[in-house]
Amino acid sequence: MLSYFVRRVCIGAITLLLITFMIYGLIRNMPGTPLTMDLAETDPSRQISDEDLQRLERIYGLDRHWSVAYFQWLGNVARLDMGRSFREKRPVTEVIGERVGPTLLLSVTSLVLAYLLAIPMGLFATVRSGRTDERILSTVLYMLYSVPAFVTALLLLNLFYVRLEGTIFQLPLGGMTSMQYDQLSALGKVWDRLLHMILPVACATYTGLAYYSRFVKSNMEEVIRQDYIRTARAKGVGPFGVVVKHAFRNTLIPFVTLMGLTLPGLLSGFVILESIFTWQGMGLLFLDSITNRDYPTIMGLTFMFSVLTLAGQLIADLLYAFVDPRVTYS
Amino acid sequence: MTEPTIMQRDVPRSPLVARGGGDISRGFWATSWLRFRRRKLAMTALVFVGLLALVAILSPAIAGTKPIVCRYHGRLYFPAMSYFHPRWENEIFFRDGFRMRYVQNLREKDPDSWAIWPLLYQDPYRRVRDGEWPGQPGNESYAPPNRHNLFGTTHPGVDVFAQMVHGTRVALLVGFVATGIAAVIGITVGALAGYLGGWVDMLLSRLIEMVMCIPALVLILALLAVLDTPTIWHLMAVLGMTGWTGIARLTRGEFLKLRQTEYVSAAAALGAGRLRIMFRHILPNSLAPVLVPISFGIAAAILIESGLSFLGFGAPPPNPSWGSLLNAGRNNLQMWWLIVFPGAAIFLTVLAYNLIGEGIQEATDPKLRQARQ
Repeated sequence: MLSYFVRRVCIGAITLLLITFMIYGLIRNMPGTPLTMDLAETDPSRQISDEDLQRLERIYGLDRHWSVAYFQWLGNVARLDMGRSFREKRPVTEVIGERVGPTLLLSVTSLVLAYLLAIPMGLFATVRSGRTDERILSTVLYMLYSVPAFVTALLLLNLFYVRLEGTIFQLPLGGMTSMQYDQLSALGKVWDRLLHMILPVACATYTGLAYYSRFVKSNMEEVIRQDYIRTARAKGVGPFGVVVKHAFRNTLIPFVTLMGLTLPGLLSGFVILESIFTWQGMGLLFLDSITNRDYPTIMGLTFMFSVLTLAGQLIADLLYAFVDPRVTYS
Repeated sequence: MTEPTIMQRDVPRSPLVARGGGDISRGFWATSWLRFRRRKLAMTALVFVGLLALVAILSPAIAGTKPIVCRYHGRLYFPAMSYFHPRWENEIFFRDGFRMRYVQNLREKDPDSWAIWPLLYQDPYRRVRDGEWPGQPGNESYAPPNRHNLFGTTHPGVDVFAQMVHGTRVALLVGFVATGIAAVIGITVGALAGYLGGWVDMLLSRLIEMVMCIPALVLILALLAVLDTPTIWHLMAVLGMTGWTGIARLTRGEFLKLRQTEYVSAAAALGAGRLRIMFRHILPNSLAPVLVPISFGIAAAILIESGLSFLGFGAPPPNPSWGSLLNAGRNNLQMWWLIVFPGAAIFLTVLAYNLIGEGIQEATDPKLRQARQ
């Protein structure tokens, strides 16, 4: 077990090095540097002189070839220094740290909601398999699965922001809080945040919902035909007991893998949604840092996403051995 | 407990009786096709994709401002072909200063000319002005759907319906080309890893793992940013180069399974080379399960393309794409026609490919088939 763990961590570290090296090479070869991107926006009278530009480039390591600069970056990371954001003039860890909360708020809420709804729906679909109500539910979920979240987001905004303008049902266009947030009472603040969360969370939930309920159903279909289910029925276990205790509990193992795969998505999965609703999370930060060529921030985010992906896979594999005694890694 | 191969399992229990005598039974693909055809939804989806392909091919004939065929100074020209590629417009029209206005110019410069026009006189790239087409008023900016603009217009008065018809081409092309590239890379890598094994497998598996771990959007956006002016073809190449890992893993698994079978040993005993065994003997037998992720991959590629265009990272603006229409809708939320029509098109296309993928899965996977019966 321990040797397996060590081997996986070593392979993961090599993978991580290769990924960051590749991404660093790519972003350094994008046209424009963070300095010139910044210059393009300021007015001509305040442009920096060439000497200053060169000085800045030297400070930020932009004058060196990207492969050399990569190892400089890597050395800094080894000393737990992710560098400073060009854009925000603050440490990258601080910039990213600020965005973790909002993204988690969005992703965890929608994930919990999706699971809470998907499991009963999946079980219902298994029990009523082939009947009209199950067909309707499955068809609706299947269609939902094919609707891109950004289309739904726009439709919902058209309905709740434009059409219902002036009514009490109007929901905010985006952002996480209203302009007058600071003046609100404590209860008002909670309500304000809730209102801003409704649409993004709804959009983030429904795609997951469709996926997970199909996942539950397909796993259940395999289990429900097993001999021990027939035995349970024959010895007189009620229908609820058979479905939940005997069948569903035996489908939990694949969930472990699924959870491992969701882990990176918790922080990186909502780039488009965050950009539509100007939700100040990781996804929006990532898009902004790409357009601003903010190298340290892009690298920090890539590093974090890759570590999470690798960790998610490792955790899923390790948990697999814990929940399923048939699996060992020795 | 060796799994019988798909072929072996199919032949004796095939409910579809053999053609002609009783000795020759249908092949695997024929039975799969029959089984696929029985699934109404999957067939509907296939017909829908076929219709879309037809719309894409006929797009210049459905909506456009250039004649499909015209006779000009005694010769035949096909100006509408320039919608497929700008170079395909005959230079005579540049020399004679047509400047994209065919109706008046044809009449003025050659009274004997005739032309066959598209069904709808609307252009996906520019606004149709007053008096261009007899009896049709010019487009207004942001007009809601009306008699002349079936799906309304966008900002400079460009017809949404025309953009959507021409956008079909982009959507289908992205789906096919991107997934085609992904399939070629994925099948090659998977086949080499699965059949050769050993250190090749080790290296290629690490490569697959690595590409899988890179956040797809980071890679796509970075690659697109490196290209100074990305075109739709670059986008397809980038999507293809990032989306092959699933196919590679599946192919590798199939090859690992199939290289143990008797017919592979038989082929090797007969002196067939490695490449021949891999691509002539194993590949056709491992193709069925690989078709499933390919079909889902097309859906995913269309989704990503529209998502990127929506974010403004797609092909540059004068390119009619469903995603860029949605992008226009994002900035003008009250104009529902910029959201509903392209949104529905993306939804239906993605749904169709997902249904086809599922149909293939159920028609070719013996395990699933048993489960259904």
